[in-house]
Amino acid sequence: MTTIPLRYRVPWKKIAVYALAVVFALYLVLPFYWIVAMSFMPEVDANSVPPQWIPQHPTLENYTAFVDPTGAQAMVGSRAVRETPFALGNSLLVALLTAVLNLVLGVFAAYSFSRIRFRGSQVLLMVYLLTRMVPGIAIIIPYYLLMRELDLLDTYWALILSYTTFALPVTIWVLKDFFRAVPRELEDAAKVDRCGWFRMMWSVVLPVSAPGLVAAAVFAFMTAWNEFMFALFLTSTAASKTMPVIAANFATDINTQFTVMAASGVLAVLPPLVLVLIFQRLIVQGMAAGSVKG
Amino acid sequence: MSTLVNRRTLLGSAVALPLLSACGAGSAGAGAVRFEGWDYESQLVQQNLDRFTAANADIKVAYTPITSAQYVRKIVAEFTGNNGPDVLYSYDDSMVSWVQAGYLQPLDGLPGVDEVYSGIYESNAKAMTFQGKRYGLPYYTDCHGLTYNAALLDKAGIKTPPKSLDELEQQALKVKNAGVLEYPIGLAAQLADTWSSWVWTLVYGSDAALFSDDFKPTMDKARPIFDWIHKAATVSKVIDPASLQLTPVPLDNAMMAGQYAFTIGPRYALRTYNDPAKSKQAGALKLAAVPSLDGTARGTVSSTRMYCLAAKTAVKDKAVKLLNFLGGYGSDGKPSTARFWFDQRGLGFPFRQLADDPDIRTTLAKFTDPETYTKLSAVAKPRNLLGAPWYGEYESAQQKTVQQLLTNQTDASAAVSSLSETAISLAKKYS
Amino acid sequence: MTTSTVRQWSDNTRGYAMNAPALIAILLLVAYPIGYSFWVSLHRDNLAQPAARKLIGLDNYLSLVDDPAFLASLRVSALFVLVVLVVTVVLGLVLALVLNETFMGRGVLRSLVLLPWAMPGVVNGLMWRTVFDAKTGALNGVLTELGWIDSYQAWLASESGAFFFTAFAQVWNTLPFTVIILLAGLSTIPRELYDAATVDRAGVVQRFRQVTVPWLLHPLLIVLILETMNAFRAFDTIYVLTGGGPGDATTTVALLTVQRVLTYTDVGLGSAYAWVITLITLVISVAYVGLLYRRGSFEV
Repeated sequence: MTTIPLRYRVPWKKIAVYALAVVFALYLVLPFYWIVAMSFMPEVDANSVPPQWIPQHPTLENYTAFVDPTGAQAMVGSRAVRETPFALGNSLLVALLTAVLNLVLGVFAAYSFSRIRFRGSQVLLMVYLLTRMVPGIAIIIPYYLLMRELDLLDTYWALILSYTTFALPVTIWVLKDFFRAVPRELEDAAKVDRCGWFRMMWSVVLPVSAPGLVAAAVFAFMTAWNEFMFALFLTSTAASKTMPVIAANFATDINTQFTVMAASGVLAVLPPLVLVLIFQRLIVQGMAAGSVKG
Repeated sequence: MSTLVNRRTLLGSAVALPLLSACGAGSAGAGAVRFEGWDYESQLVQQNLDRFTAANADIKVAYTPITSAQYVRKIVAEFTGNNGPDVLYSYDDSMVSWVQAGYLQPLDGLPGVDEVYSGIYESNAKAMTFQGKRYGLPYYTDCHGLTYNAALLDKAGIKTPPKSLDELEQQALKVKNAGVLEYPIGLAAQLADTWSSWVWTLVYGSDAALFSDDFKPTMDKARPIFDWIHKAATVSKVIDPASLQLTPVPLDNAMMAGQYAFTIGPRYALRTYNDPAKSKQAGALKLAAVPSLDGTARGTVSSTRMYCLAAKTAVKDKAVKLLNFLGGYGSDGKPSTARFWFDQRGLGFPFRQLADDPDIRTTLAKFTDPETYTKLSAVAKPRNLLGAPWYGEYESAQQKTVQQLLTNQTDASAAVSSLSETAISLAKKYS
Repeated sequence: MTTSTVRQWSDNTRGYAMNAPALIAILLLVAYPIGYSFWVSLHRDNLAQPAARKLIGLDNYLSLVDDPAFLASLRVSALFVLVVLVVTVVLGLVLALVLNETFMGRGVLRSLVLLPWAMPGVVNGLMWRTVFDAKTGALNGVLTELGWIDSYQAWLASESGAFFFTAFAQVWNTLPFTVIILLAGLSTIPRELYDAATVDRAGVVQRFRQVTVPWLLHPLLIVLILETMNAFRAFDTIYVLTGGGPGDATTTVALLTVQRVLTYTDVGLGSAYAWVITLITLVISVAYVGLLYRRGSFEV
C-alpha cells in the first residue's frame, strides 16, 4: 500500500458533491426540524435548558388544539387557533389559483418576447418589472380602496388578483427565457405539420419548457402562499384569511405558547411541502427533460 | 368592442375612486352595529355579546376580531376606505390620533357617560379625555409595578423587596454575587410598535415627568432614571443584555422559568406567573410598588383600553346602547362587562367600586396581594404625552435611545438631550 | 408586395395582442394604486391630521436629503442588500451546481430546497426567533453542547449580531428562488457543449467560465434583480426578529417605510420613501442589465 495505482483517481468531484449535499441538507432542514420538534413538546419541555433535541414527552396536544381549542389550550388565542384549518384551505386555494392564472396570462406575453420582434418590446419588459419595483406598502391603501369599490374585500379574488399582478412580471421574465431556448426547428416542424399556434404551443413548446413552467408556477404559488401585508388588509374573516395572517397573531398574542406557535408554523409549511413531494417526480423530470433537449 | 367599453368604464371608475369612496359610507349590513376589536379572547367577547343581544332583541351586532398585532393599522385602513366600524376598541395611545383623523366622536352628553366617568379611576378618565372631551368608555386598565421572585431573593438572603432604585441595584448585585443568577433583572426592551412600559413606569415611579402637560420636554428631572438604567446595565451589569431581544411573551416565559429575580411589568401578568399549571415559579412571584429615586412610593403609569364610537356611525342609538353595555353599568348599576373580564381572565378593572368587592379581593388574593394591587391603581397616571400628535414617533425614538443606554452607546446626559431635541423637532414637524 | 412590411406590421400587432391579457390585468389592478401613491407622495398628508393636508410638490423628496433616520436606514439597507445578495447568489449557485450533478438522494435534496420557500416571512421570523432565543434557543443549545460557548448568548442584542443573524435568516428564506431559477437555467445547457469543452481539455474552472456562465446570464439577471428587490423590501422577518433594533442597526428603509405609512399614518412622506426605493431598485436593475450585456447586443 505504498503507491496508488496510476489509473486510480481520487473521485474528488464525487466527494465534494456528497459533502456539499450533506451540508446543504443540514442547513436547510435543521432550523425547521427545531420547530417541528418543539411542536411535539409540552410547553415546559420546549423552554428547557439544554434543549431537548428529541421530544422526551412527545405530545400531540399542540396540534389537537387546532381542532379542539376548548381542550387544554383554551387560553391560547382561541380564535386564531380555530381559524387555522380554514386559513390553510384559503391559502391553498388562493395560491393554486394564482399559479394557474399566472401561467395562463404569462404564457402569451412571454412567448411574444421570445419569438416576435415588435416595437417597444424591451421597454415593455422593463415596464412589467417596474410595476414590481414599487413597494407594496406604497400601494396598499389605494389598493384597499380599489378592492372596496369592486366589492371584493374579504374574498379570495382580492388576494388572487393582487398576487397575480405581483408574480406576473416574474413569470413573464422566467418563461421568455425558456421559450427562447426551445429549438426553432421544433416549432418549424410543427408549422410544417400545419398545426395551429395553440396546438404548437400545447404539443411542442410547453412540454419542452416544462422546467420553466414549473419554476414559474412554484414562484407564483409561493408568492401567494407567503404574502402577509395585503392579506392582512384585504381579508377579515375565516372566509378569506390566509396562514401568514394567522401566524402573525401568534407572534404577539400575550397568551401565545411557543409550542402551539411552532405547530402553526409547521402547518403553514406542510401543504406546499406535501405538494412538492407529490410532484417531485414531475419537477425532477421536468428539469431532466430540459437537460436532454437541444 | 364590449371588452373595450368595459375596460374604459373600469378605468374610469378607478380614476374616480377617491370621490366615490367619499360618498359611499358604510352601507353594508344595514341596521347591524359593526363592532371591531383586537382578537384577544374573541370567543369570550362573542359570548358576552350574546348576552347583550339576548337582552336587546332589536339590535344585531356584527363582531369582527382583528389580528392584535396589526389592529391599529387595519382600523386606519378601514376608516381611510370609509369602511370603518360603528363601535371599536382603542388603545389610549391611538385614541388621540383617531380623534384628530376624524374617526371618533365625543361621548359627552350621551346617556350613562357621566356616571361611568365619576366611577372610574382618575388615570383612566384622563386617558380617555382629549381637549376636554370624552371619547371612550373603559374596557380594562392595568398599571405596572415591580415584580420579584421571593424564592430567588430568599436564596440571596433578601427578605423585603427594594424601595429605591439604588436598593434594587444592590439587591440585584447580591443575587448576582450569591451566584443565584448572572443577570437578575430582565426587561422587555426589544423595539415594538407598542409602548415600552417599563421605562415609563420607572419615570412615573419617581414622579419624574419627561414632559410638561403642554408637551414641552422637561427631561432633566428624568436624567437620574436614565442614569440608573445605564449604570445597572453597563457598570453593575445586573440588567440582562438579552433584554434587547425580549418581547413581553419571552420575558413572561423567563420569569415563570425562574430566570429573573426582578422585572418591571403589568400587574396582570401575576395571574399567569402564579398559576401552577403554567409556571414553575408559581407562588414565588410577588408584586411591589415601583422603586423610586428617593425610596418613597410615588406612583406608576397606567394603560387604558377603551370602547369608542365612530364619528360616522349610521346606527348611533344602537351603538350607544352597546357601548354602555360594554363599558358602562348594567341595569343593576354594576359594571358587568368589566367584572366579566376580571372574573374570566383577570383583566384590570377601571371601576373603583370593584376594588372593595369581597369576591374580587378573594380572587385577587389567589395571585397577588390585593392591597398592593389596588394601591397601584390609585396612584397611577397615564402618560401625559398621549395628547401629542407626535407621541408615536417620540416613543419609537425613546425606545431606541434606551437600547443605546443598555448597550453603553450613549449616556444619560446625551440621551436626555437627544430626546429633547427629537421632541422639539417633532413638535415643529407636526405643527 | 413587400413581405417585410406586412410582417413588421403583423409582428407589432401580434406582439401587443399577446401581451394584452397580462397588460390589461396589470393596468387595471396596479396602475391606479401606483399613480395614486405617487400623487400622495407630493402631499403633506398624515391621516391623523386631515386638516393639514396640502399639495407641497417635491418637498417630501427634498426633505429626505437631511432626514437622518432615512439616510441611516438607506445605509443599513445598502449593506443588508449587499450581504444578503452576495451570500444568496454564491450559496445558490453552489447548491444549483450540486443539484445539477447526479448523486444518490438528489431528488430528496431538490425537494428540501423548496422547504424555506414554503415558509411565510412571518413564520420564518418566528422560527428564527426561537432558534436565536437568548434563554432557550436552539443555537445556544447547539453551541454549548459543542463546547464552543460557555454560557448562553443574546445573539440579537448587539448591533453587529442583530444585523448578521437577521441577514442569515433572510438568506435562508430567499435561497430557494435563486436555486430553482439557476438550476432551471443549468438544465437548459446542452450537454454537447460540456463534452466539447472536455475534449478541448478545458479545466473545471474554464468550463465553468466558458460554458456555464454565459448560459446562466439570463437566469442570473433575473435572480439579481429580484433578490435585490426582495432584500430591499425585506420586512416580515426583520420586523419579527428585531423590530429594527438594537438602536437603528436593522432599521432598513423598508421597515422605516412601513412604520411611516402604517404606524405614524404619514402616508405623504411614507409614499415618498417608497418611491425612492422604487427609483433605487430601478437604477440598480438597469445597471445589472447593462453590466451583464456589456458585450453583444442589448437584449433582455
